[in-house]
Amino acid sequence: MRPSALLPVALLAGICPLWAQAPGPPRGGPASAKRAASFDPTGYWVAQITEDWRYRISAAPKGDPGGIPVNAAGRRVAAGWDPDKDIASGDACKAYGVGGILRMPGRLHITWDGEDVLKMEADSGSQTRWFSFAQPRGKAGDSQGVSMASWDRLRPAISGFQLGGGASVGGSLKVVTTQAKPGYLARNGIPYGATATFTEFYDLFQVPGGDTLLVASVEVTDPEFLTTPYWYSVHFMKQPDANGWTPGPCSVK
Amino acid sequence: MIMRVSGLALRLIVTLLGGGLLALAQGPPPGPAGPGGRGGGPAPAIDFSGWWTANLQEDSAERGAGPELVDFGGIPINEAGRLWALSYDTSRLTSRFHQCDGYVAPYSVRAIGNTRVWEERDAKLQTLIAIHWYSQTFEGHRVIWMDGRPHPPAYAPHTWMGFSTGEFAGNALRVETTHLKQGWLRRNGAPESDQATLTEFFVRHGDHVTYTSVINDPVFLAEPLIKTTDFFRQPTDPGAWLFPCDDSEQVFGRADDEVPNYLFGKHPYLDEYAKKHEIALLGALGGSQTLYGEFQQNLARASDAEARARTLPAPGPPLTSRAVDPDPHDGDIHVLPARENVYMLVGDGANIVVQTGDEGAFVVDSGSGQLTDKVLAAIRRLSVKPIQFIANTSLHAGHTGGNEKLKNAGSDPSVVGTFLALGTPGAGSTAAIMAHENVTARMDGSLGNPPAPSGAWPIDTYMAGRRRKFHNGDSIEMFYVPNASTDGDSIVHFRRADVIVAGDVFDTTQFPFLDLANGGSVQGEIDALDTILSQTVFEHSGEGGTLVVPGRGYLCDEHEVAEYRDMVAIIRDRVKALIAAGASIEQVKAGRVTADYETRYGANTGPWTTEMFVEAVYKSLKSPVRSKP
Repeated sequence: MRPSALLPVALLAGICPLWAQAPGPPRGGPASAKRAASFDPTGYWVAQITEDWRYRISAAPKGDPGGIPVNAAGRRVAAGWDPDKDIASGDACKAYGVGGILRMPGRLHITWDGEDVLKMEADSGSQTRWFSFAQPRGKAGDSQGVSMASWDRLRPAISGFQLGGGASVGGSLKVVTTQAKPGYLARNGIPYGATATFTEFYDLFQVPGGDTLLVASVEVTDPEFLTTPYWYSVHFMKQPDANGWTPGPCSVK
Repeated sequence: MIMRVSGLALRLIVTLLGGGLLALAQGPPPGPAGPGGRGGGPAPAIDFSGWWTANLQEDSAERGAGPELVDFGGIPINEAGRLWALSYDTSRLTSRFHQCDGYVAPYSVRAIGNTRVWEERDAKLQTLIAIHWYSQTFEGHRVIWMDGRPHPPAYAPHTWMGFSTGEFAGNALRVETTHLKQGWLRRNGAPESDQATLTEFFVRHGDHVTYTSVINDPVFLAEPLIKTTDFFRQPTDPGAWLFPCDDSEQVFGRADDEVPNYLFGKHPYLDEYAKKHEIALLGALGGSQTLYGEFQQNLARASDAEARARTLPAPGPPLTSRAVDPDPHDGDIHVLPARENVYMLVGDGANIVVQTGDEGAFVVDSGSGQLTDKVLAAIRRLSVKPIQFIANTSLHAGHTGGNEKLKNAGSDPSVVGTFLALGTPGAGSTAAIMAHENVTARMDGSLGNPPAPSGAWPIDTYMAGRRRKFHNGDSIEMFYVPNASTDGDSIVHFRRADVIVAGDVFDTTQFPFLDLANGGSVQGEIDALDTILSQTVFEHSGEGGTLVVPGRGYLCDEHEVAEYRDMVAIIRDRVKALIAAGASIEQVKAGRVTADYETRYGANTGPWTTEMFVEAVYKSLKSPVRSKP
């Protein structure tokens, strides 16, 4: 028995619980979402359409879902899509809701609205989204739904029992949107329902040549119209100014 | 003893408190240090190990069954890229040398199939050496070096997967890749050149990875092509990891030099895709403008004539190469091990190859003669034995300039004491220079060329077929390739090491030097490239296996030779068609028959311009020459 040799272990066993908590806010009170941001998403951004080009730069033919895992009910709705009917019923913006807006070939303008809300405007269809890190800001039943945001960082499942390392540096902007008005995942009437959930991860990258890239990876779950979760990822290039920013009405054709 | 152990324990605790554990007491540093960027110090490693499957919900048709023909929308291809793609006949895949072509790294990542990722760590120190990213499709095995090693020099080989280095930046793994082979941006002909570089970002969101690729290709792209995709973790081994391919005869009776292609403006399915999907042809032809929303308005008013004009080369002078010069131009000789006892020496004109062993060194070509002392020094570092043989692949000065000095520094002990030495004082006291007879005939002035110094002339010559020699444990063959760059070209094959030295027949830095004044011809050039291909064997997915040292440029394998052969044959076909239509040399030049290859090989100044090449093709087709093989 060599009690002295066990001393480090004993000490560590006692000390570790002191750190067995998720990293807390900096001293001086809770940090605002803006202060705690992993990156700066603000500014003007232009979408680059390099994937699903035919589906995004122009509307695909009626009933063509592309790679969207739409179920039989969704196919029936898509087959019955009537753009004139949408216009007549005041639903011209159904493809510009939370389920479709990021795939539109347009521009985004992102700003902070206070310390805990990000405002995302899209010139396509003149849409506005609110990403709230605290109190919900969006409206249930609105085409953009209610979006709750957080800074998503890789963390161990249980903290405090490892030596060294810790949480990763940086992190994604995670936005979860629910309670959106039913709309279209694509401009040719591929539907999503009222119970659909949209989980978005935004990341920022510096690319060769000095450009800044905003990548959004999106999961759509919809028990009403999808067979499995639908994932897509889109990207936007940072713009130096508002040049090219042209808010316009929704278009169904 | 107790006190000493306690002191050690105390130090351990202090160390832990001051280092790793304290890290837990702090949140991730907030602020503007965004992910995926550079700077801000090293970020903690992120684990990507496991089995992954790519999500094909985007570009599903393209990534599954395959893209439609002339569907280039959303790809920022430039003129060269568009014309290359429109010249591409998918029947080219029936060529033995393309049947098993793999995918380049950024295309491989988007392919259907399983992916396995694992870490390679130092066994003792547990430091991260590399991350291995293995894709089932074509068995693409990427090694992403994480140990800070530099990228290889520009004269090093290119592979499907390229050479990758990585670092963790924020919550992303950032990877930079160079040394890619020519491959696909889209497998309907949209090309990615061997000059492309790749920047990638991998971000984990639980059991989902968001992948972003940024392809910079100065040859075929007007701006970087950026794509994103997603991977999902698989909890069980998919059990499907291999992707075999062997080539075979698919089109009987087709001549070796026939490369399926469409003449400019003659793609038979040009507007099939556009019409089927009711898209303006202008959009289907791709280009930077098609990436942005503003193009929707252009699509609405795009005229057919505007689109069709883009299927032809724009009028004007030829464009010039945007490729990296593989020659370091630093006044030094650089040694690249090729395989076994065969080395490539770079830096003094044409590439030099040295084979070493128990016997004297066997050297192929001697460089321009500007840096011969350094060439000799490099050879002496590789071989304790003197140079015994020098083989010249060409009569050109870049290959023979160092002949005399290298010869005099060597010796050929196989001659000393033989009947060959009788009555020849000093026989064997220098290395022997070997070449095709026409090299000597042109260097000694007997065919009317200005004579080179007699000490540089090859005296061990052959006239037809091949010259054989077993040396340093390898079977070495020199093959005569008539009327290629000149009428005296040889290729040299080290059979055991399986390295072919191509000489001027194959050059990754320029259009082939067709030296008509010295017996060169475009048809002989194509035949010579086919001769090389008749002897190569790839290791897997059309790469590796037989290595090919070009006259100038980076160390290659059969894929680069096949692409080069295709290029020469396609340009020949275009010039032939114009000649058949009665075009003059000026009209052929104005037609820019090289338009899709100019940004890779073109030059408007220097000893071998695009115009000179086109003129040589034209003249050699109008007045064919043929030596005996």
